Amino acid sequence: MDATQLLKGVLDVAVLAVVEDEDGYGYDVVRRLRAAGLEEVGDASVYGTLRRLYTAGALTSYVVPSEEGPHRKYYGINAQGRAMLELQRKVWTEFSTTMNHLLTGEAA
Amino acid sequence: MTTSTVTPEIVAFAQGVRAALADLPAEEVDDLTDGLEADLAEAYAEDLQRELPDPGAYATELRAAAGLPMRTKVKTGVLAGLAQSWADTRADVGVAIRRNPALASVVEFLGELRPAWWIVRAWLAAWLVAWFFGNERGFGLAGSWWLVFVAFAVVSVQWGRGRWQGAGVPALIAIGNVVAVVAFLPVMAAADDPRSSAGDFDRGFQSGVDATVNDPPADGLTFRGHPVANIFAYDASGKPLRDVQLFTPDGKPLEPYASQSDDVPCAANECSTVWQSRQLETGQPVFNVFPLGTVAAEWDDQAQQTVPKPGATAVVPKAPYLKVPGVLAPKKVANSNE
Repeated sequence: MDATQLLKGVLDVAVLAVVEDEDGYGYDVVRRLRAAGLEEVGDASVYGTLRRLYTAGALTSYVVPSEEGPHRKYYGINAQGRAMLELQRKVWTEFSTTMNHLLTGEAA
Repeated sequence: MTTSTVTPEIVAFAQGVRAALADLPAEEVDDLTDGLEADLAEAYAEDLQRELPDPGAYATELRAAAGLPMRTKVKTGVLAGLAQSWADTRADVGVAIRRNPALASVVEFLGELRPAWWIVRAWLAAWLVAWFFGNERGFGLAGSWWLVFVAFAVVSVQWGRGRWQGAGVPALIAIGNVVAVVAFLPVMAAADDPRSSAGDFDRGFQSGVDATVNDPPADGLTFRGHPVANIFAYDASGKPLRDVQLFTPDGKPLEPYASQSDDVPCAANECSTVWQSRQLETGQPVFNVFPLGTVAAEWDDQAQQTVPKPGATAVVPKAPYLKVPGVLAPKKVANSNE
């Protein structure tokens, strides 16, 4: 089994989690995810996810101009995003518990 | 936040990604790729070994993660199609090069030479513009045209460093680079060619200088660089001769002045006297009958030129010698049989 396949299903909640406390721009978010241990995460997947979460209304976005070089696009979580994060945390906790039990053979 | 340089590779890569997303609405593409260059530049700065992926694959990943439809066949114009295949080819070549260590080091070496190329292409552009106006001088430029070169060099270097890149500039640079590469050899050949317009100018200038500054006039007679106004001939006994007709070896009359000209040749200051031509049996006026005489002249307001005074008679200038030593008769050459 490939961790990247698993990652696809949980990237939304992972991204929401790393911008929960602090706004971040694209590569900043990638870096936080990698620092947290998701080393295989692809840049484009993160940028796409940010964009999708923004379109879905879970994130706000603003552009910070730079005097030198291109500007950066920051993303921040909003109320809807926090609600989504809370819900997905519960879903993940339940799901992972179930999977742990299943894989270790213990009764639920 | 790290400030990082956006290299031309990154610009080209971002272009490739945008091209691969071209089937989406422009607004969507903008939103999706906003800040892409900054992110890539930072990623690059952090990890120099990092490889830029294939823009097409990158775009597909971006699209999938953003929940956007997969690429549909777009009705692209010829230009957009070309741009896409160019981006694809570049990406493919880039991947192929990175997989080959020898090639990669060659490319890395050439990469170090890029600043030199920025200057060369600026020189090429300045030379071509100057050439258009006939102001190139061999490999160099005429006077203030060097300022044009300096201006071009500044823009070229800034572009090379990824600065001053507005919309459309990367495409302009790409086209300009192709033109520069194609034009390089012909321009070098033309600049090195003495027959180039620079040579024409220099030669023309020199001949102008010769014609106006150097005396004597090209159509007169000279003796060791000095003009010869008249000629005095003496016979074998040393007596002065009159009315001697002189000719060059190829049969041209030896005339110090142009007999076919409307202007009479001045013989004294302010044209108070003029050289008098002689008339042949055929009626043709000539100046090759020596010694030449002069005649008093005046300005004719009606004809707007100097003319011999009516009624004035020709005067033959005084000969330098009344008599010169006679010439001995040539000795008989001994016959070899005698």
